[in-house]
Amino acid sequence: MEATLTVRGLKAYYQTKHFGVDREVRAVDDISLNVRRNEVYGIAGESSSGKTTFIKVLAAAVRPPLGIVAGSVAYRFDGRTVDVAKARQAEIDAIRWSHLSYIMQGSMSVLNPVRRIGAIFDDFAARPLGLKGDAFRRTVVAHLSRLKLPAEVLRAYPHELSGGMRQRVTIGLATVCSPEFIIADEPTTALDVVVQKDVLSLIRDLQRDLGSSVVFVTHDMSVHANMAHRVGIIYAGRLVEEAPTRTLFTAPKHPYTAHLVASLPRIGDTRPRPALEGRPPNLADPPSGCRFHPRCPLAIERCRHEVPPLETVGPDHRSACWRVEDVAPLAGTIGLQEGRTA
Amino acid sequence: MFVIFRDLVRHNLEFAIGITLMGIVVAFTLLSFFSPVNPTHIFVTMPDRPPSWTHLFGTNSRGQDLFWQLTFAFRNTLMFGLTVAVISRVISITVGLLSGYLGGWVDRVLMFVNDIFVAIPTFPVLVLFYFVLRSNLDTLTLALIMAGLGWPFDARLIRSVALGLKHREFTRHAVFAGMTTRKIMFEEHLPYVMPIVFATFMANMLWSIGLEVTLAVLGFTNINVPTVGTTLYWAINHSALVVGVWWWIVIPIVFIVIMFIGLFLLAISMNEYIDPRSRLNRMGA
Repeated sequence: MEATLTVRGLKAYYQTKHFGVDREVRAVDDISLNVRRNEVYGIAGESSSGKTTFIKVLAAAVRPPLGIVAGSVAYRFDGRTVDVAKARQAEIDAIRWSHLSYIMQGSMSVLNPVRRIGAIFDDFAARPLGLKGDAFRRTVVAHLSRLKLPAEVLRAYPHELSGGMRQRVTIGLATVCSPEFIIADEPTTALDVVVQKDVLSLIRDLQRDLGSSVVFVTHDMSVHANMAHRVGIIYAGRLVEEAPTRTLFTAPKHPYTAHLVASLPRIGDTRPRPALEGRPPNLADPPSGCRFHPRCPLAIERCRHEVPPLETVGPDHRSACWRVEDVAPLAGTIGLQEGRTA
Repeated sequence: MFVIFRDLVRHNLEFAIGITLMGIVVAFTLLSFFSPVNPTHIFVTMPDRPPSWTHLFGTNSRGQDLFWQLTFAFRNTLMFGLTVAVISRVISITVGLLSGYLGGWVDRVLMFVNDIFVAIPTFPVLVLFYFVLRSNLDTLTLALIMAGLGWPFDARLIRSVALGLKHREFTRHAVFAGMTTRKIMFEEHLPYVMPIVFATFMANMLWSIGLEVTLAVLGFTNINVPTVGTTLYWAINHSALVVGVWWWIVIPIVFIVIMFIGLFLLAISMNEYIDPRSRLNRMGA
């Protein structure tokens, strides 16, 4: 399948100069991946692992002190390629919202509290859709009914809607122009599980209807298990493993992923979950070699000095570890058995 | 628009009282267009007559009918206050939003100018203008000068709000969607600062009218133009209270108090209309 998004060797650092001291935070360090057409690609990682920075770059929302140091982020829309790492602002503006859209975290703060929903739709979607007046209103109302929202919400202010409705409005806002690529940044984090389920199935249905690609970012592994076709795990600014969802949950090939999956609760299993020692590294001063080595039970001398490359270890499965073969036995010892998850 | 107005009158006591008081003042000033007398002529009636049916507010020591005299005075004062407030609001909104949202060197340059205006002492500058312009200093010129001096504090206030709005999620969302800077500032952020603008609008009117009265009482404006200030100037000049012509001072002051209370009540009830959250609060939803 053709890739809608191709990221090659992407490095994005926060660079600051204060009082003559240069600081550099390597939030995204050498990430390469593809997102295919009509695919949900999940990105998982703990806080401060660089996943927010990564999607900022994907969304072409790069502003100092963040800067792209190397690499390319190439989108393919209608047979044209746009590399947002190098493109001019006008080119980026041309694809935004109509082709590349963004569902933001926190629906309360995403909508301007002093504008009616109708005015917000007008602000966001009228220009990319190129419609005015009645035709525009009809399009919006039709789209809202797809999201099971009544046309009356257009006259409401954001605070008059419930959390779930607001999140649906946010999703509606992001999808009204039928974009080919949607970035969803923790769209369900602030919602309770019932609303979460609605919102997730809504995103999945819309994705299927529109045939768009979705990059779905959350730290919630169960959401990934439900939503994503493929999942990429980010640790300390690097992509450490990438696999189809089922493979990732049943046969991980990176010790970090193995621990992550093993930490998930399972029905009927009452054993305490082992926690991984230590904390994620400071990105301003990351460890040498493999960035996971201080916390890795499999670490050997080589991990301290050499950065493991992301290599293909199975069908559609890539992992960055020097001891890929030893991960399966480790997974057994920490309580991860093949076929029992997800 | 009419529905909003009706609901405000019905549900908002402050608005109802405020609009009534301002209605009285405005209706009074509108009478000046039907005035049978020219306000600049003096000694056209018997001076120092107490209020009666022929002279509703009495006459002053300069032989003028106080009723018609005051209609002109309040019209000029009200127009003066409105002009100052509108012009200085336009300046302060523009400066505040630009410097808060754009930041960087735009912010630094605008705030440099802003702080110079903060440091300028208003009153001596106005007295200086009077000595330079003398009889050329008409009400409009004075309004323009005061509008030019009355914006810096409010620009700082609006800037502080805009600084906060700049980092809100919905602004980032709007920027990401490719909205133009102008649209973000004047369609997304302006409704947010409107309550502040209205509150400062009234405060600014009170400030400018108060300063105009001060200048006029001291004789630093064109005293031949009837305003509230010049009315009081002449009353003091003719020792109205000592002579016993109390209506010359008491009636203008009562009207000023009515106008100030009306403006204040309108300002606070206006906020309630503009901020949808407090409006909803009142409706009990």
